[in-house]
Amino acid sequence: MKLEDFMSTKRKDRVYFLMIFPAFLGFVVLFIVPTIMSFIYSVTNWSVYSADIRFVGLDNFKKLFSDKKTITAIQHSIQYAILITVAQNTLAIILAVLLNKKSKVANFVKSVTFLPAVLSIMVVGFLFQYLMTTADGGVFNSIIKFFGGNSVNWLGDKNLALYSILITQVWQWTGWSMVIYIANLKSIDSSLYEAAGMDGANKMQQFFRVTLPLLYPATSFNILMSLIGGMKMFDAVFVMTKGGPGYATETIMTTMIREGFSNGRNAYACAFAVVFFIIVLIFSQVVSFFLNKWEGVIEA
Amino acid sequence: MILRNLFKKLGYGILLFAVSMVMLMPIYYLMVTTFKTPAEAVASPLGIPREFTFDNYIKAIKAMNFSQAFMNNLIIAVTSVIFLVVFASMSAYVIARSKRKLFQFMYFIFMVGLIIPFQISIIPLYKIISGLNLMNTHPGVILVDVFCINLPLSIFLFRGFVNTVPMELEEAALLDGCGTFQCFWRIIFPLLKPIVSTVAILNTLAIWNDFMTPLLFLQSPKKQVLLQQVYRNVGPFSTDWTSFFPMLVMATAPLVLFYLIMQKQVIDGVVAGAVKG
Repeated sequence: MKLEDFMSTKRKDRVYFLMIFPAFLGFVVLFIVPTIMSFIYSVTNWSVYSADIRFVGLDNFKKLFSDKKTITAIQHSIQYAILITVAQNTLAIILAVLLNKKSKVANFVKSVTFLPAVLSIMVVGFLFQYLMTTADGGVFNSIIKFFGGNSVNWLGDKNLALYSILITQVWQWTGWSMVIYIANLKSIDSSLYEAAGMDGANKMQQFFRVTLPLLYPATSFNILMSLIGGMKMFDAVFVMTKGGPGYATETIMTTMIREGFSNGRNAYACAFAVVFFIIVLIFSQVVSFFLNKWEGVIEA
Repeated sequence: MILRNLFKKLGYGILLFAVSMVMLMPIYYLMVTTFKTPAEAVASPLGIPREFTFDNYIKAIKAMNFSQAFMNNLIIAVTSVIFLVVFASMSAYVIARSKRKLFQFMYFIFMVGLIIPFQISIIPLYKIISGLNLMNTHPGVILVDVFCINLPLSIFLFRGFVNTVPMELEEAALLDGCGTFQCFWRIIFPLLKPIVSTVAILNTLAIWNDFMTPLLFLQSPKKQVLLQQVYRNVGPFSTDWTSFFPMLVMATAPLVLFYLIMQKQVIDGVVAGAVKG
């Protein structure tokens, strides 16, 4: 290499470094460092009540797993993530198949279905809190009563509250998944359907033999997204029930924020964060494993 | 045969109508309630208002300190999005163009952020932001929004796009004596327009609608964003729905308008984010 070239590569690398370094520094200071700190603090006694921070081993984790409230919160998050993934994706695929048409009506319904996704989760939460109220003028119960049913205590019944919150989130996010499925459907070669039609496959068979396997890219993305999104669930619970009634809708995030910020048990909340991390990791690994298997089956 | 097709069409129409009703009913209810008196809202929740009154909006604008909260939202969202576009596009360009181990290692670190949810870092992050004296300031929230939450995905999306831009253009420019930095902004960046719009749209939605970050990092009412104002007012207005609902409308109206005007771009952005993600 000529000296001149060498100098210019060196200068180029220096410019490259200056272009990437500010972002890297910001990311390390505001993400990597606090994430590592969470792991470190999880084995200490750091809280607003302790004057000095010292190592306590796995005490926080022991406390965490012997606390029934925390265990329920973890269960809720997992239950919630699985249910929202199944409900949202099933509905989104059905709607995508129905709306994948070049017509004004289909376009209109598509826009309308996506609309709630641009609203804030918190606003949707408040809105449904009023729609679901048992007080006079609650829309859902008025409709039920109009058809002769009994008023339902959507958010006050501890066996029901979690599902009520779930409904609001399915309402809000199905459109988001749907547009991703529609884009995927558009990429499917229509001659495949003609071939399947000639083989005598009816519409239902065509869906399961042609459409669903070829929806693999959108499905794997959407499933992972709604699973992880469901695990992180915070805003909707926070505004609609605050985790109640009792602890019926408490999730990992609401517990973590309450323990870490309202109750000042910082290290305990960090231990919770570590547990959260492990659950998300296991979850995404397991799901990726099955999705890969599915991909293998399709290609075979 | 004709009859069967007709039934099919009818069924399809009814289905679409039902879907639209389910999607629109809550929004319709939200809108009509804002124009009603409290008594009317209870008596006929889904009826059309007998007369349209804007009193509720006037009351809400005052209670939630609308113009200030709106400005706070705007400052946080616009600055964060600009920072994200600038930092992510530059970083992604370096990662895509240089094979150096150092930069590839940095990319690997950035991508850790795509796998680990940022919520895990939140408690120590609170301490770091206080330590930097940025608690209860807009720059504090902006830094968190940019570097902690949204940077990895933005870099990932930009990198995928830069890889599709042919090298010949910048090689020619470099021969003409254009420096690397200048060359990026003058030649490459203008070519990134489609992905800039994707990144800007996805981040605007995420940041405008984010409630947890401002909740944790902004305490004084003067600095708070629209969603915090809504949250602050829910107690005092808990029995006065008709005054509370306009707050919900106004907190979301800017993004809804944005969506109605730029529908195609928003949906394309969401799709592009998924296809490359």
